[in-house]
Amino acid sequence: MSAITDERAAGESVKPAAVARRPRRAPLKARLRRDWPLLVMTVPAAALLVVFHYIPTLWNAIAFQDYNPYAGVGGSTWVGLGTFQRMLGDPGFWDATANTLALTGFQLVFFFPIPIALALLLNSVLSRRVRKVMQSIVYLPHFFSWVLVVSFFEQMLGGAGLLAQEMREWGMEPLNIMNNPEGFPLLVTAQAVWMDAGWGMIVFLAALSAINPSLYEAAASDGAGRWRRLWHVTLPGLRPVIVLLLILKLGNALSVGFEQFLIQRDAVGAGAAEVLDTYVYFQGVVVGDLSYGAAAGIFKGVVGLVLILVANRVAHALGEQGVYSKQ
Amino acid sequence: MKRPLTAAAVDRRGFLSLLGVGALATTSGGLLAACGSGGGAGDQGTATQTDKLLQLMPKYQPVELIPPDIAGAGGAPNGYLSYPKTLVQAITETPGTSGKEIAAMAPHWGTVPPALGSNSYYDAVNTRLGVPVKFSLQDGVTYYEKLNTILGAKDVPEVLCIPSWNVAGLAHFSDAVAALFQDLTPHLQGDAALAYPMLANLPTKSWLECVWNGKLMAVPYPSDGYPWAFFYRKDIFTQLGVAPPTTAQELYDLGKAVTDPDAKRWAFGSITWEVERLFGSPGSQEGWRKNADGTVVNKIETPEYAAAIEFMTRLFTDGLVHPEMMNSTGDAKQLFNSGEMLMTTDGLGGWEGALVTEPAINPAFDMQPVHPYSHDGTSTPIMRNGGRVVFYNFIRKDLGDDRVKEILRVLNWCGAPYGSQEAELVLFGEEGKHFTRGADGTPVKNDLGNTEVAGPYANISGAPPVITPAKYFNQVQARVDWNNAVTPLLEKDPWEGIRLEIPSKVAALKQPTEDKINDILRGRTPLSELETIKKEWLEKGGEEGREFYAKALSDNGR
Repeated sequence: MSAITDERAAGESVKPAAVARRPRRAPLKARLRRDWPLLVMTVPAAALLVVFHYIPTLWNAIAFQDYNPYAGVGGSTWVGLGTFQRMLGDPGFWDATANTLALTGFQLVFFFPIPIALALLLNSVLSRRVRKVMQSIVYLPHFFSWVLVVSFFEQMLGGAGLLAQEMREWGMEPLNIMNNPEGFPLLVTAQAVWMDAGWGMIVFLAALSAINPSLYEAAASDGAGRWRRLWHVTLPGLRPVIVLLLILKLGNALSVGFEQFLIQRDAVGAGAAEVLDTYVYFQGVVVGDLSYGAAAGIFKGVVGLVLILVANRVAHALGEQGVYSKQ
Repeated sequence: MKRPLTAAAVDRRGFLSLLGVGALATTSGGLLAACGSGGGAGDQGTATQTDKLLQLMPKYQPVELIPPDIAGAGGAPNGYLSYPKTLVQAITETPGTSGKEIAAMAPHWGTVPPALGSNSYYDAVNTRLGVPVKFSLQDGVTYYEKLNTILGAKDVPEVLCIPSWNVAGLAHFSDAVAALFQDLTPHLQGDAALAYPMLANLPTKSWLECVWNGKLMAVPYPSDGYPWAFFYRKDIFTQLGVAPPTTAQELYDLGKAVTDPDAKRWAFGSITWEVERLFGSPGSQEGWRKNADGTVVNKIETPEYAAAIEFMTRLFTDGLVHPEMMNSTGDAKQLFNSGEMLMTTDGLGGWEGALVTEPAINPAFDMQPVHPYSHDGTSTPIMRNGGRVVFYNFIRKDLGDDRVKEILRVLNWCGAPYGSQEAELVLFGEEGKHFTRGADGTPVKNDLGNTEVAGPYANISGAPPVITPAKYFNQVQARVDWNNAVTPLLEKDPWEGIRLEIPSKVAALKQPTEDKINDILRGRTPLSELETIKKEWLEKGGEEGREFYAKALSDNGR
């Protein structure tokens, strides 16, 4: 008994000593001497960020002015929150925002799972050569411009396109695909899938390769079939990446695209195709009201930041690391 | 290409209250004053007095090197049926004296020719000029974006060519002009222009449009004033046994007769302008008219416009419009040239371009403009009046008097009119190297000529427009006939010569209103919506627009 008490006493005496002997960080000079090559390597990237991202952010001040590019920031009058008021009080602005959010939601449900599915499919292909070739073919469309993609869809699915010609030959009325405002969310998602699913797949393929294969073997030996292995091994292994990308996507919730919608605006009408970016383009940039454009940019940035912070918190609550964490 | 709003001359005090502040004052009221904006009194568009402008004008001294074969009626361009046998050397002394390279930027449509150094055409012209001109040729289709960037960055070349249809879209353009470009008034006003005889040959109406902030700022490339025409494929019409329309009903029946999706043939592209013109909808300054009783109305308030929209909706919903033209990716020129689309609106320059490229591909190709007609065949048709300038050529500020004079001499040389050796060199290159002479003396460019000889020298200063076989081949008579038919019917613009800078509130209305009209045209909303659109337009800024335009007229005593 005394041995136990002695141990406990000894343990207690050990603890304060251990607390007092917390490892001290090396002084700044020593750290610099040790790490200066690393710091020098980051200088170009840091300079790029500062010059092209942080300093231009200062020019957001023009959102609080009635900006005239030839008078410069110094010569333009300050209007405070006037531009923001004008923007937030404009029903067209809120219509465009609602459209944007609806499209983001639609794409989140119908576009987001597709690169994951594609990665899983490709991962199960045994032949390495086939996998490499398929991978390249599938992600190449990412490099096309939207004009090309929309023209391609028009030539294939449009009223004068290949599908319509075939249908006419068979005596059927051609489908109205490219000019249908109701089907527009589906059309833009289809275009986005065609263009970007392959590119999005790359991240998931990399994550898949990081899953320990012995986990699969263990699950198989426990009697797990293909679908159970997918549910219990693969998807949990992908969860961190999925959560990360979801959070980033939420941060971009108000940016569903620009060129794609600008090109197809005439075809389906502004009611269906007006997104925040095109609205700001016509109300701000085209008319020469650069302050309006800057104000809308700030609005998007603030909303995106709030969304990312909230989503990150939720991810932490679920036990994931999220975009960043305190550890 | 849309005809632009003519640019404005605005003084600084008026300007600040125009954009933004004016709109803010009307929407956010008291809070704005608290934020120290100065509480603008609303938009004050400006209108400079026309007689003051006339004082700035260069003296007009026509230069006619060879008499025309077909005289243009009532101010229409003259026509020449054959190439002149002997060419006159219009300018004897060499324009360039310093030898220092002139940096110029101009838009270009089509394949870019080889750059200075590997282009014998450039070398030939530069030798004659005595000073090398280095062109930076930009894609004409996206030129507007490039302009926005370089004007915003205040980094402009010595000579900058700006198309007139881009000017309306350039933000704060009058400020840009004042800050960046040379005031040419002392160099060209009145008799000073006689030092540059080819520039004095340019019509005064074109010079009038080159005034900003009360000063003469640019050298124009004159246009003949016809913004666009309604073209049809005569060869396919003859094949199908149909004739060009003379009434609106005939236009519709014609469309129904020729549209055959199985044969990949549709009648029309997006011909809304033509249909508006057909029904007599107002077209000055993009849709305004002064009534006989003095009131100013916008097209959206007129029954003619409603009739035009109804007609156009029928064309869309009955499938007479080519499906690709519903999108922004539709290429009207390409569809028309290939025969998929039989009628289209295009600038007259489009006719010239097609005459160069298409006959080689399709010998039967025959593109003709439809002679003006009205919707019921009996009322007098109107034709849209266009601006008098195609390109504005600006010279950068702070170059020094001698350099400006040298550049003006170069522009003068480039503007040598039809029948001069200089014009032949500019348009065709060197004989034997870039072109050969046909049997009637007309130059025909060979392969090297087609690659190297491009437009920029012609664009940076234009000779007065003439109709020549070089541009129109065997269609000279057709073009002159059309000109002569159209000239007496040109719509009179009550605001002609007045510089206007539109209040931003009115300008911002344009796109949403167009979008709503588009919805009607495509059949997404019913025709009855037009009333609602009209009311909304009036409330959101249309009335202000009306006051602005009416004031512009009354200030000028019209």
